[in-house]
Amino acid sequence: MEKNRISNFFLFLIDNLIWVLVFFALFIFSILSPKFFAPFNLIGLFSRMAAIGLLVIGQSFTMITANFDLSSESTMGLTAMVAALMMVTAENGGWGLQASPFLTILVMLLLGAGIGFFNGMLITRFKMNNLIVTIAMMMILRGVTYGLAHGNSPSFLPAAFDWLGGSSLFKIALANSKKLAIPISGVFMILAFIVAHIITRYRRFGRNMYAVGANRSSAEAVGIDPAKIIMAVYIISGICAALAGLLDAGRMDSATPRTGIGLIFVVQAAAVVGGVSLFGGRGTMIGAFGGVLLWGILDTGLNIIQVSPFWIEVSRGALLLFAVLLDALRVRYMSRAAIQKALTDNPIGLQDTAG
Amino acid sequence: MEVNTSNMILEMKDVSKAFPGVQALSDISISVVEGEIHGLVGKNGAGKSTLMAILMGIQQSDTGSISISGRTFTTMSPQQALDAGIAYVPQRINMLGSLSVAENILAGEMPTNRFGFINWREVYRDAENRLSQLGLKLDVRSRVEGLSVVEQTMLVIAKAMFSNARLIILDEPTAALPRSEIDRLFGFVRNLKNKGVAFIYISHHLEEVFEICDQVTILRNGFLVATQPVASLDTPSLIRLMVGEDVKEFERTLPPHPEVDQPVLTVKDLVRRGHYENVNLTIGKGEVVGLAGLEGSGAAALAMGLFGLDRTGLGSVTINGKSFQASEPEQAFRQGVAYLPQDRYQYGLIGIRPVRENITYPILNRLTRLFGLVRSDKEKQIVQDYIDKLGIITPSMEQLASLLSGGNQQKVVFAKLASISPSVLLLHEPTQGIDVQAKIDIYRIVLELSQQGVAILIISSEVRELLGICDRILVMYQGKITQEFKVGDPLTTPHDILLAIEGGAYVAE
Repeated sequence: MEKNRISNFFLFLIDNLIWVLVFFALFIFSILSPKFFAPFNLIGLFSRMAAIGLLVIGQSFTMITANFDLSSESTMGLTAMVAALMMVTAENGGWGLQASPFLTILVMLLLGAGIGFFNGMLITRFKMNNLIVTIAMMMILRGVTYGLAHGNSPSFLPAAFDWLGGSSLFKIALANSKKLAIPISGVFMILAFIVAHIITRYRRFGRNMYAVGANRSSAEAVGIDPAKIIMAVYIISGICAALAGLLDAGRMDSATPRTGIGLIFVVQAAAVVGGVSLFGGRGTMIGAFGGVLLWGILDTGLNIIQVSPFWIEVSRGALLLFAVLLDALRVRYMSRAAIQKALTDNPIGLQDTAG
Repeated sequence: MEVNTSNMILEMKDVSKAFPGVQALSDISISVVEGEIHGLVGKNGAGKSTLMAILMGIQQSDTGSISISGRTFTTMSPQQALDAGIAYVPQRINMLGSLSVAENILAGEMPTNRFGFINWREVYRDAENRLSQLGLKLDVRSRVEGLSVVEQTMLVIAKAMFSNARLIILDEPTAALPRSEIDRLFGFVRNLKNKGVAFIYISHHLEEVFEICDQVTILRNGFLVATQPVASLDTPSLIRLMVGEDVKEFERTLPPHPEVDQPVLTVKDLVRRGHYENVNLTIGKGEVVGLAGLEGSGAAALAMGLFGLDRTGLGSVTINGKSFQASEPEQAFRQGVAYLPQDRYQYGLIGIRPVRENITYPILNRLTRLFGLVRSDKEKQIVQDYIDKLGIITPSMEQLASLLSGGNQQKVVFAKLASISPSVLLLHEPTQGIDVQAKIDIYRIVLELSQQGVAILIISSEVRELLGICDRILVMYQGKITQEFKVGDPLTTPHDILLAIEGGAYVAE
């Protein structure tokens, strides 16, 4: 019993380790640089991380079902590019359609959902490997983005389009007569995480996601259709990527053919360090949110204390390794605990086999 | 050294082994000489597996010694066992399936040319030579996964021979093999026997023990009952030795359900080629029916087929008068059929999720309200109900299912199945690998469900268990239901049921 309590505590700690890390990082950088803990910096962090946060949500959905969506960074890039091309005048690099922002956003979301549907189709219907399918789609969509852009970076987007990604909600007066603006994108990311949390935690669909990721054959045996669930998470991931494109294009007031390149690694790292297991079936949206925060804190913190970009890159890699190590440790610990349990109840190690 | 011990390959003396709460083996002595095929029989839990685990060095005996070809060990590691010439051929062959036969034979010692490249011509020639020395004809270039089951088994035996095995343990090598394949395997085994190789042959198929073994050792509850030449025994007398005076661990006191004559599950003329033929059975309301049979008898295939995990074949199945058809578990669920899988880790539990979620997966659709949100108060109440009713021992309902003990995991699976209020419950080895107290709890749960009118079919290799909880026991042999036993009838004895399971005729005594 005593031992049981210790092991439960250990599991609790390892499941919530992300928050220990977040507070530790906040603490360290606050000591190292007074600039870091400034409200401006912290608020800015939210708006910079907003697009990544959306990608992390989509990624976590697929990872919970023991799948990956590596194409999401390219989906983000393509949807942002298509949107900018639709709205921007020809002289600013667009198609000159000057489409309405609302129509454009609708097209973006449909495009994202469509890409997700296509991924899901290849993976569930044709039983193709999810990793390779989404890597292939990452390349294809990026190529299409370059092709559509013709080397342009369409800029000067309508204000209504930029609202979500680039504007602020209200301004809080600070003591030193400066005003602190709350970025809408940051608020939007937090809202998105709350919705994602509710879906994964409190909806039947979320439950089924975990079941499919944790043990597909058991899930099937309780009447869950894994193909349906996996299809749905890819569509969700596509929509999240489109929203990330919307946030990013809005913040930059333009779209470049390189929008989103390389983000997938950041996204994976944030999700995994936040406790979303690479093996599926485990992880929460709250943890994933912590992963996003940790990533943002490290990135801005290291910048502020003027660490060379090369070392920042090294620290990113190290964090990713650390996250994967943690995941592997957790899985190993769990299976060992389960085996020990099995051995204590059933002393005869080999099972007798009979009809 | 005396002459008669010079060809002694194995001598285990007074081997005992205790596990917490169980004396698994008590003073077992067994000896095997060169060129002998030694049968090892006993019911599940008799101690066969433990004895073999000790012989392979996987477990250490508490007392006693093992002599192999004259070398005596009191403790032995798996490597020492291998070096001494002990080889084990498991029931489910595990080889490098995507590699060729030759690569499997020569794994780790592939001939290379002087540049360090593998000399394939040499590989195939060498492998062919080695196999032909054993009189085995296999295409050395074909992939192992393309071989038949019996060819794979023979290949494993051959591989053991190449690493100088002198005593080969065959664990249920013929389960689910057709007769012609068995003949092929036996021919190969006899051929090696003539070369002086010794075998320990573990099987539940007693007729094969009579066919191929010279001596047979019978274990019962960890004790050695007898070692005798097979020629001095026949099937009924061997079964008598295996069963002994049976102590019942559980006896139902409940009478049959009052509406037991009202049929719930009716199976008519069900045929699935190669698995079962002309299956006819009816299970009434609240009736508990046992289905016993050796592996490959068709009992397991029938249950999987009814639940939609496998094909059902031709024929008609009705549940409460309505025609039943399921090609997927979900459809079976919807028509009121629930299935407890033999392998709860693969098909039953979702180990890394909490107990609460495991129990309510199939009924979540009834627990959701607006926007598909799960009503957690109601869910918790249902889960707590099951935890109390079934006596699931867990620190909380949020405990991960894989961290429970085996018996409690099985109760969680029961709770899950009970939650959908099925009309028919199919149980496949419901108490395998769980402790005695949990077994008794499971029996109570089964009987409680039957009192609620659920028609229950139990597939079990434990005849004692079936006698303890069933109203009737059906025996399947080679795909057919061959006999039916009424529990409570004085003529229904474990001995007769085991005889029927082995394909023997029912003889009233």
